Amino acid sequence: MNKKGSLIGIILSVIAVSVIVAYSSSFVENENYDMRTHGSISTVMGSSIMGSASAPITIVEFGDYQCHQCYNWFHNTKPTIFQNYVDTGKSNFIFMDLAFLGNDSPKAAQASYCAEDQEKYWEYHNQLYNAQESQIDNGWANPERLKAFAFSLGLDMDSFESCLDSGKYAKRVQYNIAEAKKLGASGTPTFFIIGPDGQQQKIVGAQPYSVFKQILDSMI
Amino acid sequence: MLQTLKLVFSNPLYLVLASALFAFMLIGLSVISEYLFFEPYLIGHIAQGTEFGFVLIVILSVLSAVVIPMNIYRINILKKSKGKIGGSVFSSFIGSVAGACSCGPVGFTIISTFGSIGITALTFLTNFELPIRIGAITLLAFTYYTTVKSLKTECKITH
Repeated sequence: MNKKGSLIGIILSVIAVSVIVAYSSSFVENENYDMRTHGSISTVMGSSIMGSASAPITIVEFGDYQCHQCYNWFHNTKPTIFQNYVDTGKSNFIFMDLAFLGNDSPKAAQASYCAEDQEKYWEYHNQLYNAQESQIDNGWANPERLKAFAFSLGLDMDSFESCLDSGKYAKRVQYNIAEAKKLGASGTPTFFIIGPDGQQQKIVGAQPYSVFKQILDSMI
Repeated sequence: MLQTLKLVFSNPLYLVLASALFAFMLIGLSVISEYLFFEPYLIGHIAQGTEFGFVLIVILSVLSAVVIPMNIYRINILKKSKGKIGGSVFSSFIGSVAGACSCGPVGFTIISTFGSIGITALTFLTNFELPIRIGAITLLAFTYYTTVKSLKTECKITH
């Protein structure tokens, strides 16, 4: 009876310890994930902040490196927004991944964070949008090309390759996709503009500069 | 050709049907291809480099609006050749599906629902968006030609 009792005791102790460990580790994980928020968006797993961190307005873009509309916005609208709002300190900008379009999309997003390890996130991000080809998954963003982009930016290839091949940032990209879904973003690009009072405006699609200007000006 | 058009569209009902079809196709395709936005407010926008895609949408909408009512007229008057309307609706549908850019909510829903099969299908439709639309326009143009020819013969239109 004693033997049986101590066996049950051991099993219960093991279960209790497992529950405590699981709970505390998920708590730590959630705590880390919730460290940087803009409005209702947890941006901690997205890009670093482009522009002044103290700017009153934040523009969060959910995009995919293989999305042609994101390419259009990157080339046609983004430069004017940056010139008038980000460079002047009125707004800052964060990019988050909604990498769903093709099989190469998540890997391209992961590669951008591998470049971030070497402080070249934005250079790599720009490189991807400059190199985008009109066809999805035609090989322009396969792992070999992603490594070639890193090489052309002068990144340390050993650490970049090991980062990309190991899938170091796979969960980070998944987190961003889950965050996009949580916010109801169902296409790329989707933008959230967060004002100084926490007011949040969603813009779906590669809309023209005039739309952004009207919203940004109303928040300043 | 002009007489055939006059014959069909002299009836205001077919004119209304054509206008409704044109508006439906043009607005629908412009929305899913991100040329037209309703939120945060109504705005149309043709981004640099996407002009050709928009021209194809307009052609597709015009052809659908002409060919479908003509075939409905043909069925109503002659009670035959339902196949042609099937063909024109099919061409319009194919042209529309090609315009459903996978970046948008339509693509996102399909990919979320069907997973890797959805990715493959949407990738194909996106990669070959312009050739598919051109193919649909060719099919509609061919249907238009054969319908006009049939109506000329069957309704005995004289030049």
